[in-house]
Amino acid sequence: MKVPLIIVTGYLGSGKTTFLRRVIENVKDKKIAIIMNEFGEIVIDAEIIKGKAVNMVELAGGCVCCSLTGELEYAIKEIIEKVNPDYILIETTGIAEPDALILNIENIKEVMLDNVITIVDCDSVIKFPDIGYVGKIQIEMGDFILLNKADLVNEEQFKFVEQKIREINNRAVLFRTVYCNGNLDYSLFFGYFIEKDIKNKTHIHHENFEYLYFEYEGKFSREDFENFLSNLPSEIYRAKGFVILDDESYLFNFVAGRINFEPFKYNKNKLFFIGEGIKKYKEKINEELKKILK
Amino acid sequence: MIPNIKRVGNVVWEIPLGYRKDMRVPVRIYATEKLLKEMDEMVYQQALNVSTLPGILKYSYVMPDGHSGYGFPIGGVAAMDAETGVISPGGIGFDINCGMRLVLTNLTYNEVRPKLKELVDLLFQRVPAGVGSTGFLKLTTGEFKELLQMGAKWCVEKGYGWPEDLERTEENGCIEGADVSKISPKAIQRGIDQVGTLGSGNHYLEIQWVKPENIVDHEAAKKLGIFENQIVIMFHCGSRGFGHQVATDYLQIFLSVMERKYGIKILDRELACAPFNSKEGQDYFAAMKCGINMSFANRQVILHRIREVFSKVFNTDPEKLGLHMVYDVAHNTAKLEEHIVDGKRMKVIVHRKGATRAFGPNTEGIPKIYKELGQPVIIGGSMETGSYLLLGTQKAMEETFGTTCHGSGRTMSRTKAKQLVRGEQLIKELEKRGIYVRSVSYSGVAEEAGIAYKNIDEVIEAVALAGISHKVVRFLPIGNIKG
Repeated sequence: MKVPLIIVTGYLGSGKTTFLRRVIENVKDKKIAIIMNEFGEIVIDAEIIKGKAVNMVELAGGCVCCSLTGELEYAIKEIIEKVNPDYILIETTGIAEPDALILNIENIKEVMLDNVITIVDCDSVIKFPDIGYVGKIQIEMGDFILLNKADLVNEEQFKFVEQKIREINNRAVLFRTVYCNGNLDYSLFFGYFIEKDIKNKTHIHHENFEYLYFEYEGKFSREDFENFLSNLPSEIYRAKGFVILDDESYLFNFVAGRINFEPFKYNKNKLFFIGEGIKKYKEKINEELKKILK
Repeated sequence: MIPNIKRVGNVVWEIPLGYRKDMRVPVRIYATEKLLKEMDEMVYQQALNVSTLPGILKYSYVMPDGHSGYGFPIGGVAAMDAETGVISPGGIGFDINCGMRLVLTNLTYNEVRPKLKELVDLLFQRVPAGVGSTGFLKLTTGEFKELLQMGAKWCVEKGYGWPEDLERTEENGCIEGADVSKISPKAIQRGIDQVGTLGSGNHYLEIQWVKPENIVDHEAAKKLGIFENQIVIMFHCGSRGFGHQVATDYLQIFLSVMERKYGIKILDRELACAPFNSKEGQDYFAAMKCGINMSFANRQVILHRIREVFSKVFNTDPEKLGLHMVYDVAHNTAKLEEHIVDGKRMKVIVHRKGATRAFGPNTEGIPKIYKELGQPVIIGGSMETGSYLLLGTQKAMEETFGTTCHGSGRTMSRTKAKQLVRGEQLIKELEKRGIYVRSVSYSGVAEEAGIAYKNIDEVIEAVALAGISHKVVRFLPIGNIKG
């Protein structure tokens, strides 16, 4: 199975490194390989494992920090070979254009892009309201956008920031954060959707998010299923699971309006939804799915 | 397109003062009508933002290959009063002193064609390309610091080049005032093993052919050492991770002092700047000069490798193969120059981001051998379409602070190009058309496909019609190593 990959992007000083620290603190039950921006050094005091395309540091919590010394493609292969992570997370430089990176990733067959997290410094948007060329691309590509440093702006200013971001990207899920802490749920980013995760719910520790889970025998047509996903209520931020479409089985991934299917051998339909206040949709979704089930 | 853009010349357009309240000078765009229509909307906004910067003189310029970039447009030119103006990393580009070098041979197309594959393959092996590529030079920190202060001169002294190479490089390959104490350890670490490497993106090394019908000015071509059916070598690269880190370091410093200490207000943080005369401005200028020297040294070492490869493949001394440089000129810099503004000679800091210095005949700062001709200007096209050798003109001195275009300019993002083009297929198609390409990455090739760029001939036509450059010859690629 392809390793899911997350891109973390944002301007210099927006809080990318802080976010990575939060990930290391909060996500203990997944092995995550973090690729520090393409040139960044590893700032953690531990023994560095030198490789051909990447240097690595294994952390106590299971995370692995990596810094590139060669091409990204080779580094990813090396990381998978050596540490076999559940997730790979790439932090971009504050000045990189993430759209080009995304296409590079789409050409690497060992991984699949899971989601893009963009970190915005609210205070900076107030100071420099013309969001520049690179800033725009970063915001456009984001599935989840952290409006960080929210404590540095007042309510009116925060609304302005929100509106600015919405003008550029109206599909992303926005979070208000301070030091990258706030109404975040790491299961949203790291998609705890496979069977063992659903049984073991210890990691689901946020009361603001609600989860829905469905299981069906049978199959869907791809067209019907895509239509269904496209028309989900906006409070559903993410959906993931296994589906049988026509005669093939897939792992599907829905993030803030973006849909991906990855061929995957499985014999059932298992669907998992996450969002804010979505329990009320349980019956409606069940009915809609049953209607298109063959 | 902005509705009240005015045509002020055949290929010159102006957004007048007052279009936006905060403008200090008008915006001037050099372009044919077709190129103007192709420009992305953000270029106008960016050129307008640049026109608000303190100390900007005459105009905020956009060259015909202009497209949007970090803060300033790529193809943007802004000259600031050295006394009252600012310096901005966004007006220089992250790849400090990225530029072009053109090298002659006395070989003809018929002599090279049978050996083309061998040449390109060996060059590909000897001139490392790609994001993390490292060079054969293993330097100590002390040696690297010497190189940062001495540029290409350091390389020639160590045997990587000929003394005449320096005379044919902008600033003689070594800009004065590079101060290594203004460089962060991180920048040193990123650059120390990258001397002699192409890097990635749109950087390349090409073997090109002078087709007889492509010589425009025969007399000038002859004086520059160009003849019919000749093979020349052109390459494009810069200061690699080193320059990138210098820019990153100072962007952060500028952001923290710009408003608090100097009261400069800007709309887009990508335009972070500091007064040229301030401590921070001068520190950046001295650090940026290290980037300039790193880049000259990088191209010098690559030339050395090219000479080795040609010598090996043709089993002849490089001297006998006539591997002389025509020139090395940058297109991502800010330089302190003297220009006449409103009849007054004054010191200005000229930002050229994706724009090439194009000094006219008899201007100080160009090599003696080119004094009468004007400064050679090397313009790289996309790998499919060809490149140009031009000359700087007096008109450029008068109109654009001695500046012209730098390449063909993107018409679509890298992303879009990759969606439309498959690198593997493009390489095969190019081979059918007689262009042999080697690259570390297929998707990288797709980014650089001809369709992703403006028509180079149209861009050159615009600068020639404007009189800010003079056409000499167009080169066609037959071999390409893509970074």
